[in-house]
Amino acid sequence: MSLEQFKDRNVAQNYTFIPVDEPPVEPLDKFKQVVKRTFKGELFVGLWVVFREMVRFNIHTVKYPMEKLPISPRYRAVHKLYRLLESGNERCIGCGLCEKICIANCIRMDTRYDENQRKEVTEYTINLGRCIFCGYCAEVCPELAIVHGQRYENASEQRAHFVLRDDILTPLDFLKEGKQEEFDGFGAVSPNADERIKKTPTAY
Amino acid sequence: MITLTIDGRKVEAKKGETILQAARRAGLYIPTMCYLTKVKPIASCRLCVVEVEGADGFILSCQAPALDGMEVRTNSPELFSHRQNIMKLYDVNHPLECGVCDKSGACDLQNKTLEFGVDTQEFSARDHKRDLRKWQFIGYDESLCILCEKCVHVCNEVIGDDAIEIHYGGYNSRIQPKGTEELECTNCGECIAVCPVGAMISTDFQYKANAWELEKIPATCAHCSAGCALNYERKYEGALEKNEPKIYRVTNEFEFSTLCGAGRFGYDFENRVAGRDEAAFKKALEAFRKADTIRFTSRITNEEAMILQRLKEKYGYRLVNKDAGNYRKFLEAYATMSGKSLFNGSLESLADADGIIVLGTRILTDNPAVRYHITMASKRHNARVVYMHPMEDEEMKNVVTQFVKYEVGTEEGVLALLAKTMLEGKIDVKKIEGFLKDLDEGYLSAESNVGEEELEAVKTSLARCRRIALVVGEDCINHPRATQIARLAALFERFGGISVLPVAPKTNSLGVALICDLDDESEGYTIGYNTPGDFVLSSLGEGDLDMPALNQQEGTFTTLNKRVVPTNVALPFKGYVLNDIANALGVEAEFTIDYTERLPKEKGFEAVRFDDIPYYFSNSEGEVRGYELRRLKHGVDSSLEDIAELPEFNGPILYRCDPVLQFGPQTYRASQLEGEEPVLYGAQQFAVAAKLQEGMRVRVNVGGVEMERVFKIDPTLKGTIALNPTFDLGLSEDLLSSNYRYSQSKIEVVGQANE
Ligand code: SF4
Ligand code: SF4
Ligand code: SF4
Ligand code: SF4
Ligand code: SF4
Ligand code: FES
Repeated sequence: MSLEQFKDRNVAQNYTFIPVDEPPVEPLDKFKQVVKRTFKGELFVGLWVVFREMVRFNIHTVKYPMEKLPISPRYRAVHKLYRLLESGNERCIGCGLCEKICIANCIRMDTRYDENQRKEVTEYTINLGRCIFCGYCAEVCPELAIVHGQRYENASEQRAHFVLRDDILTPLDFLKEGKQEEFDGFGAVSPNADERIKKTPTAY
Repeated sequence: MITLTIDGRKVEAKKGETILQAARRAGLYIPTMCYLTKVKPIASCRLCVVEVEGADGFILSCQAPALDGMEVRTNSPELFSHRQNIMKLYDVNHPLECGVCDKSGACDLQNKTLEFGVDTQEFSARDHKRDLRKWQFIGYDESLCILCEKCVHVCNEVIGDDAIEIHYGGYNSRIQPKGTEELECTNCGECIAVCPVGAMISTDFQYKANAWELEKIPATCAHCSAGCALNYERKYEGALEKNEPKIYRVTNEFEFSTLCGAGRFGYDFENRVAGRDEAAFKKALEAFRKADTIRFTSRITNEEAMILQRLKEKYGYRLVNKDAGNYRKFLEAYATMSGKSLFNGSLESLADADGIIVLGTRILTDNPAVRYHITMASKRHNARVVYMHPMEDEEMKNVVTQFVKYEVGTEEGVLALLAKTMLEGKIDVKKIEGFLKDLDEGYLSAESNVGEEELEAVKTSLARCRRIALVVGEDCINHPRATQIARLAALFERFGGISVLPVAPKTNSLGVALICDLDDESEGYTIGYNTPGDFVLSSLGEGDLDMPALNQQEGTFTTLNKRVVPTNVALPFKGYVLNDIANALGVEAEFTIDYTERLPKEKGFEAVRFDDIPYYFSNSEGEVRGYELRRLKHGVDSSLEDIAELPEFNGPILYRCDPVLQFGPQTYRASQLEGEEPVLYGAQQFAVAAKLQEGMRVRVNVGGVEMERVFKIDPTLKGTIALNPTFDLGLSEDLLSSNYRYSQSKIEVVGQANE
């Protein structure tokens, strides 16, 4: 592999330069700048804004944990197991790829041969005490079954707490209400997936 | 030796070897899909094609013999695209179900599809409905099958069941049971092992775990004296369970070794205990302090046998092990005639033979591995197989060329007659020559019911065979006249150049026989190790102190093949082991396996450390596992006793014989085999003689052990001998294991089967 890309250290090429005054050098100039900045009035502008908003009760601070900021769909927090939208069946087929790829070795699952001749996942656990939220599991999952959710609060009385299948599986009523949103974070289908798929020929 | 060039490299080959064999031995890779080392080339996949200088077109390397001076190319753009096209064709309509398939991660189709970069598909065919079949242990998914035929060939050429076949029908071709609607076979599961895809599967294992999660523990099967190589595959017990391993399945290196169904499906016989039971351990020590006798079975390792021997040396215990005791006497008597401490036969010599005589064993169930080697001899060299036994075995008829029926109890006479037939004229020792000459043939023939013509037929059928093998079974070893039979059998080795294989009755009978200085009878206070006793150590979970089962121990076994083979710990054992008891009693060693290098050299063992015993498989050497016992010189005594009067058995007779897949209490504990019902199988004729009807529940008393069985009529049997199993008797099984297998016991009807 060529190392060229690492050797090009000119990372500033696309920056816009903001004109900045030369910093004062002489002690007198420095003193002048301090006085100018201190008594220019901006301080009072700021204080005024704070006072005005306080009087108006128009507070911008996010009152966590009562309030939470929206986060990016790519955020990787506590996992979710999704269901198929129409049938409500579980998406996970028990292929075990997530278990294999998991870098912290914290996924375990039990599978069995069920009455419909299918592979059924009877238990699926993630040891969140060990998970490093790398997102590999969501990325490798061929069924978009295990995904990262947005629940990032992990405080627990137990050092190693598990999430069990029932904790992360979309509840059926939730699904019926259409609340399971398609995941477009790690491992999601790329927007141009359709173009990239080639169909199997059927000559008959 | 032949020299040829493969990809520019000079490669040596033996005469008759194929290009593929030569290449593999040299470590050169040629892709194959249908090649299986242990059967004849199947030649169904065409993936193994190579180019040979001067020859037109591609050559199938799995079939084409290597010739001197040949120049072979295994790779070229043409070959690559040819192989890529083959893989594309295999992929047509192949279900995209790797995600759930049991084979995923170890699948030849997956691997080769990737290897040949199949990323587009130009071929297509209209699909149709394909069936999923499920039999007891084995399932078949037609849609995954690539029709490589490995399963069919292994079943026919190695196992000998010939239970499956290809249904030819173009794109509709599939595998199906041969001649029956449902699969009826001995359930060895070898078809599952050799299947390169997920088409043949174990119904129990299906969808339970992925191949890559399972950790392979190379070990030795603990059920019979063949000691086959197997891998216990283990994983955590369950997602929510404690971090304890569980065995999910057993696999084998199917290219080089073969398993029977007991080894493959009867793996979870472990003895789980919660922890060290100190109270019980104290009691055990007390028991050892006052004990006079230790009675044990041959389902132990060499090292444990060595510990028992050391305990005997220190405390003067009597060591009693009936089946190994009988085997030991048999071998000792044998050695006095053959002049060597051990017999000359082996499984390899059996598979290599072109003439085989089987005497005194129902080999199909007694020792599947021996049976497989007989099958291989039959299929590879067209071996003549003479099967001598009081009962015909329907399932052996695929390989048996002559069946000789003799009367129960007359093994001695039969072997003497056989010796006369086969060896007369070859013996240069006067005494023995005289012995054979003076045999009262008329009497022996009449009593044993083996006629002169039959013996003539044996003679002519084996006349042209150059490598003859004689298999001597448990009926002879546990015969009241065993020592004489052993010395007669040794004549075949000494004068006939015949390789003789006495089939050791239990897992480690040979090891125990060589290591322990055994006594005949128990006396006084008895400690039973997996046998009844005043204080019982048990790995079957019914004793006073729990012991680890054989899948929870490391150590070595001595197989009937005269090899010392290692086995490893597949599952942990939390209790006390025999070595702990020995340590407490002053026979000290840190680990049980410290005894491996101390096994008696004067008996042929080697002073190798357990960790240095090899266990691997390679293309050039095949199975490399353990070491072979040395055969030492032994004093010869050429005098032979006269043949004793042959016993007579009239009326209904019970023959101690476990069904396929069962080898005593150990297999009966395994989850897949524990459902087996102990059935007394007899012919219609037996039913009449014993006044029984199909479905009756009977109570029999054999050698003082009472058991209840359901009687069933088996139409493939003949005569008045019924097969009486003992696998369900738990510890008491051992009380019967050294008796002569035929008995005339009282049979009492106690009701109907479903009562
Ligand atoms: S996010 Fe990473 S560490 Fe956590 S479960 Fe997934 S693969 Fe394992
Ligand atoms: S990768 Fe996805 S489908 Fe496969 S086992 Fe994990 S969650 Fe289930
Ligand atoms: S047989 Fe192989 S290729 Fe076919 S589904 Fe199973 S793993 Fe995949
Ligand atoms: S079942 Fe498996 S071994 Fe048998 S023909 Fe099909 S693919 Fe080959
Ligand atoms: S029971 Fe005997 S023949 Fe069967 S796998 Fe075990 S050792 Fe081999
Ligand atoms: S390996 Fe030669 S044809 Fe399949």
